[in-house]
Amino acid sequence: MSSKDSKYRMIWGLMEGFRLRYAAAIGALVLGSCFMYMVPLIPQIVIDGVLSGPGGGGKPVSALVRRAVAVGGGREYLHAHLWIPAALLVLLTAIAGCFTYLRGRWSAMASEGIVRHVRDRLYDQLQHLPCGYHDKAETGDQVQRCTSDVETLRQFLANQVVEIGRAVIMMAVPIPLMLALDPRMTLVSILILPPIVIFSIVFFGRVRHAFKQVDVAEGRMTGTLQENLTGIRVVRAFARQDYESEKFDARNSTHRDLDYRLYKLMAWYWASSDLMCMSQKALVVAAGGYLLATGRLQVGAFYFFLAVVNMFIWPVRMMGRILTELGKATVSIGRIGAILMHPRETNPSEEERRDRVDGMGPGGAIPSHSASGGDEGFSGTRNGEIVFERVRFRHGGERHIVDGISVRIPAGQTVALLGPSGSGKSTIVNLLLRFYDPDAGTIRIDGRDITRMERKAVRSQIAVVMQEPFLYSKTLGENIRLARQDAAEHEVVEAASAACVHDAILEFEKGYDTLVGERGVTLSGGQRQRVALARALLGSSPILILDDALSAVDTETESMILDALRARRGRHTSILIAHRLSTLMQADWILVLDRGRVIQAGTHENLLAVDGLYRRLWEIQNEVESGLLDTATG
Amino acid sequence: MSDIEFQEEEYRRRLDPRLWRRVLAHARPYRRPLAALALAGVVVAAVDALLPRVTGLVIDQATMHGGGGQVLRYSLDYLGLVTVMAVMVWFFIVMAGRAATGFAYDLRRAGFARLQELSFSFYDRRPVGWLISRITSDCDRVSGIIPWFLLDLVWGTSLLAGVSVMMLRLNVSLALLVMTVMPPLAILSVVFQARLLRTQRAVRKTNSKITASFNEAIMGVRTTKALVREEANLVEFQALSGEMYGYSMRNALLAAIYLPIVITLGSVGVGLSLWKGGIDIGTARILGGATPATGLSFGTLVAFIQYAAFFYIPVQELAERFTQLQAAQAAAERIQGLLDTVPEIRDAEDVADPREKGINHVEFRNVSFAYKEGQAVLDDFNLRARAGETIALVGPTGGGKSTIVSLLCRFYEPTAGLILLNGVDYKKRSLAWLQSQLGVVLQTPHLFSGSVKENIRYGRLDATDDEVIEAARLVNADGFIRGLDSGYATDVGEGGNRLSTGQKQLVSLARAVIARPQIFVMDEATSSVDTETERLIQAAIETVLRGRISFVIAHRLSTIRSADRILVIEKGRIVEEGTHEELIRRRGHYHRLYMNQFAREEQQQVLEGIAREE
Repeated sequence: MSSKDSKYRMIWGLMEGFRLRYAAAIGALVLGSCFMYMVPLIPQIVIDGVLSGPGGGGKPVSALVRRAVAVGGGREYLHAHLWIPAALLVLLTAIAGCFTYLRGRWSAMASEGIVRHVRDRLYDQLQHLPCGYHDKAETGDQVQRCTSDVETLRQFLANQVVEIGRAVIMMAVPIPLMLALDPRMTLVSILILPPIVIFSIVFFGRVRHAFKQVDVAEGRMTGTLQENLTGIRVVRAFARQDYESEKFDARNSTHRDLDYRLYKLMAWYWASSDLMCMSQKALVVAAGGYLLATGRLQVGAFYFFLAVVNMFIWPVRMMGRILTELGKATVSIGRIGAILMHPRETNPSEEERRDRVDGMGPGGAIPSHSASGGDEGFSGTRNGEIVFERVRFRHGGERHIVDGISVRIPAGQTVALLGPSGSGKSTIVNLLLRFYDPDAGTIRIDGRDITRMERKAVRSQIAVVMQEPFLYSKTLGENIRLARQDAAEHEVVEAASAACVHDAILEFEKGYDTLVGERGVTLSGGQRQRVALARALLGSSPILILDDALSAVDTETESMILDALRARRGRHTSILIAHRLSTLMQADWILVLDRGRVIQAGTHENLLAVDGLYRRLWEIQNEVESGLLDTATG
Repeated sequence: MSDIEFQEEEYRRRLDPRLWRRVLAHARPYRRPLAALALAGVVVAAVDALLPRVTGLVIDQATMHGGGGQVLRYSLDYLGLVTVMAVMVWFFIVMAGRAATGFAYDLRRAGFARLQELSFSFYDRRPVGWLISRITSDCDRVSGIIPWFLLDLVWGTSLLAGVSVMMLRLNVSLALLVMTVMPPLAILSVVFQARLLRTQRAVRKTNSKITASFNEAIMGVRTTKALVREEANLVEFQALSGEMYGYSMRNALLAAIYLPIVITLGSVGVGLSLWKGGIDIGTARILGGATPATGLSFGTLVAFIQYAAFFYIPVQELAERFTQLQAAQAAAERIQGLLDTVPEIRDAEDVADPREKGINHVEFRNVSFAYKEGQAVLDDFNLRARAGETIALVGPTGGGKSTIVSLLCRFYEPTAGLILLNGVDYKKRSLAWLQSQLGVVLQTPHLFSGSVKENIRYGRLDATDDEVIEAARLVNADGFIRGLDSGYATDVGEGGNRLSTGQKQLVSLARAVIARPQIFVMDEATSSVDTETERLIQAAIETVLRGRISFVIAHRLSTIRSADRILVIEKGRIVEEGTHEELIRRRGHYHRLYMNQFAREEQQQVLEGIAREE
C-alpha cells in the first residue's frame, strides 16, 4: 500500500509546474459539462413552455421552464421566433465544444509537457548513473522503460486523469438539474447506474489475468520467432524448417486461442453492459411514458431525461476499463521511478574539494609524491602524471580484481600492461576514468586525488580508446570532432591520418560526411577502432589510453599506427593494453599483471634480463617461430 | 531492391483497393464469420434506427390517447429491441474475434513459412527486428482492422439509410432539412481525419528517433562519460523531445478541435428540427386539431430531435475507419510484399534425389561469387575433395573462407560455375537432401531455448537419450553438462545465453556430431574452447569423420596441422595448397600468415595457461 502511495506521490511530484494547467483543464471540463447539460433543456423548454401552452400537456410546467420562457420574451414572442431557441441550442453546443477543446488543449499541454520533462530527465539520468548500474541493467529493458512505459504514463496523464474526473462530473452535474425537474424520474434514471459501475469494476478485475495471458503468449511467440530468425543458419544447416514451423505453429495457435478467448470474454462484457445501459433507457421510457400518460410529466421533461441518461450512461461503463489502465500506469510509473530514483554518480562536495587544497599545502604529506621524486611537483600544471597507491577494488565479487597496485607513471611516458584476461588491466583503466571508485588506496593525477575531483574534470584529462569503441549515429567527421568541437578541418584529417583511417574514410562516397550506424554505413571492427583512435588523438587530453584498441586492426596497419604514435611521444602520458609483445616492447615501462597484482615491472630489456613470466613469453614467441621450422624439418 | 527499403517507409496517400483485394484473399477461410458479422451490423443499425421512433410512439400514445396499456406495450417493444441489440453485440464481437485471431494466425503462419524458404541474400539486407515486426505488429494491424472496418462500413451505411428512411417517412420536408447537415459533416470528417493521419505519422516517426536516442545513450554510456559529452548529448536530445512535444501537441489539438466541431454541426440538425418542427406543430395547433394529419406530433418531434442528435455518429465513425484502413495499408503492403517474395534459392521442378547414401566427392568448378554486384568474393575458384579428406581453409578475414562454406551448404548459389556432388550439379537435387547430409558448426554458436538435451537432439530428432550423451561425450561436453544445475535437462536460456561461448560451441559440436553427416563443416567451431579440450575433441571426432568429407576453418595450429590438405585463401582464390610441412617449407603466404596470426594466438594461450596454473 505504501509503495502505491509513493507512486501517487511521484505522479504528484511529476505534475509540478503543470498543476495549474491540469486545474484549468478540469475547470474547462466542469464548465463544458454544465453547458452540455443545458443543451437538452432547450427543446424541453420549447416543448413544454412554448409549444404545449398552458395546460396543454399533463402536469403544470415547472418554475424553471416558466422563468426561462419569461426571460426569452414570453410564450407568444418565442412562438413567433422559434429560431431563437434553435440558435441558442447550437450556440450552447458550440460553447460546450469550446470548453471541450480547451479541456483537450490544456490537458494535452500538461500531459505532453510532463512527458517531455520525464523523457529529458530519464535521458539525463541514464547518462549520469554509475557504470555499476549499467553493468547490471539490460539495455532492452531500459529502453522499454524509457519508451513504452513512458507512453503508458502519457496515456494515463492525457486521458485517464481527465477521464476519471469526467465520469464523476458527468454524474454529478446533471443530478441537481434532474432533481429540480422531477425527483421520481431522477431516481428511475440512475437506478441501474450502481450495478453497471460495480459490474464494470468486477469484470475488469476478473479478466486482468486473461489480458496478461495473451501478453505472455504473444511474448513467447515473438521469442520463438526471434530465435528462429537469429538462428536461421542453423535451421537451414540441419534442414529443420518443418520442425521450426511446427514449433512456431504451436505458439501461434496458443496465442490465437487465448486471444479469441479474450474476445469472447469482452463480448460478454460489452453485450451485458450494453444491455444494462439500454435497459436503463428502457426504464426511463417506460416510467416516463407512464407518468406522461397519467399527466404527471411534461413531454419536454420526458425528452430531457431521455437525453441526459444517454449522456452520462456511456462514460460510466468505462469505469472498469479506466481502473485497469490505472493499474497498468502504476506499474509503469514504478519502472520509470526505479531509474529516476537511483542515485547518480557522486561528486565531491565543495568542502571536500577545498579540504584537498588544505591538505596539499607546503609539506603536504603525500608519501608517493615525494617518493616519486616529482621533478615538477604539484603546481597546478596539467601534465598527466598518474599515481596509483595501494589501490584495491573488488567490483562486488569475492576476489579483488585489483589487489593492491602501486605505480607511478611520470608525465609523458608510455606504460604497457600485459596479463591474461581477468588480471585487472581494463579495471585499472576503469578506475582511472572513475567509472568505478576503488575500495581502498588512492589514485592521483598530477598530484590530485581523483576521488576529490569532479568526475568530469578527471575524464576530461583522459582520451580513451576501448576495444569495442562506440560511435554515435552521426557522420564520421562529427564523430571524430566530438573530442574537440572547434578543431580545424586539417586537424581532423591529421588525426585521421595518424590513426590510418583517413584513406578508408575517403573511400566512402561521402567521405567524412558518411553517416555511421543503422541509417548509414556499418564499419568493420578495425575501422571503428581507428575512427575512435582518431577521435582520441584529436583531443588535447594529457593522458591517452588504448585498451586493447588495435585488436581488430591488421598487423601492418598496427605498426603504421604505432609509428605515428611514437612520433607524438611526449605529448601524452600513455597507457597501452595489448596482446602482441611487439606492440608492448616499445613502451617505456612494462607491467606484467596477474590476478590484480603487478608481478613484474621494468623496461623490455630489464624484463628480459630476469627469469619471469615476461621472459617466458618472449621465449615462447621465439620457440613458436623455431617450432615452425621443427615441424617443417621434422 | 533498395537498401533503404526497410527504413520508415513513406506511406501512400490513397487507399489501394487492388492491394486490399489481394490481402483479403487470405481471409477467405473466414468468409462465414465475416458475413455473419456484417449481418449483425445490419440488425444493430436497424435497432438503432427504430428506437427513437418507439420513444416517439410512447409519447404520442401517452399524450394523445392517454393509453397506459399502449405505453406498456411500446416500452416492452423497446426492451425487446434492446435485448436483440445486446445479443447482436455479443455475436458480432465473437465473430470479429474469430475472424481477426484466425486471420492473424494464418498470416503469421504463411509469413513464417515464407521466411523459412527465403535465401540468406534476403536476410542479409534486413535486420531481424524488422522481420519480427512484420510477423507480429503488421499482422495484428491488418487482421485487426478488417472485421471492424467491415462492421462499421455495414453498420454505418445501414444506419444512415435507416435513419433517412425513418425520417422521410415521418416528415419529408423536415427530413430533407435535417439531412442538409450531412454533406458538410462528411467533408469535414474526411479532411480532419486525413490531417490527423499525417500528424500521427509525424509523432510515430519522431518516436522511433527517440527510441534510437535512448538506445544510443545506454549503449554508449561509457564513451559519453569518457568524452564528457553528457550535457551536449542532452541538448541534442532535448531538441528531439521538443520536436516530439510539438508534433504531439499538433496531433492532440487537432483531435481536440475535431469532435466539438462535428458535434456542433450535428446540433445544427437538432436546432433545425426544433425550429421547423416547432413551427409545424404550432401551425397545426392554431388550425385547431389535436392530431393534425399534416402536422407533427410531439412524439415525432422528439424522435426527429433524437435522429438529428446522432446523425453525425455513423459519419464520423466511417471517416475514422477509412483512415485506420489507410494507416494499416503500409503494414498490409509489407506483409503482402513478404508473401510475394520468391526465394532465390529453391528446388528446381525436376529435382531427383539420388539413392546412394553417401557423398563421395565434392567439386567446385570455376566458381565465382559476389554478395554485391561488382565486388567478387570468389573468383574462378576450383576445389575437389574426396570422402575421408579433411581440408583446412586458412587466410585473412574477408578472403572468402566462410563464403566457400556458405556456398557448399547452398546458403548462397554461385554466380558462375558449378558445385558438383558425386559429379552432379547440386542445383539438380533438393535442398532438404543436401542439408540433411551436412553437419555444420558455425563461428557464432546459436542454441535454441530449451534443455541441453533438446539442443543436441536438434541434429537428429529421433536420437535416443543414450545417443545424445554419447555425442556429448565424444566432444568432451559431457563433463560440463553434468556439472550444470539439472544436467542434460538444464535450460540453456534464450539463444543459449546461460552458457559461456565455449560451452555453446561444445553443445553445437555435439549437435553436429549426432547428425552423422556426410559432409562436416566447422567454421571456427572451437575458437573459444581451451587448447587442451580442443585437442581431446580433435582426437575424438576423427573417428566420426572417418570416411566423411570435412572442411575446417580455424586459426589454431593444432587443428590445421592435422588436416590432409591446407588451402590458403586470399582474395577469393587459392594462393597456396599443400600439407603443413610443405607449406612451411615454401616460406610463402602460409608461412607469413603463421608468423603473424598463429604466434599471437599461441602466446595468448600460454598467458591464459599460466594464469590458470597458478
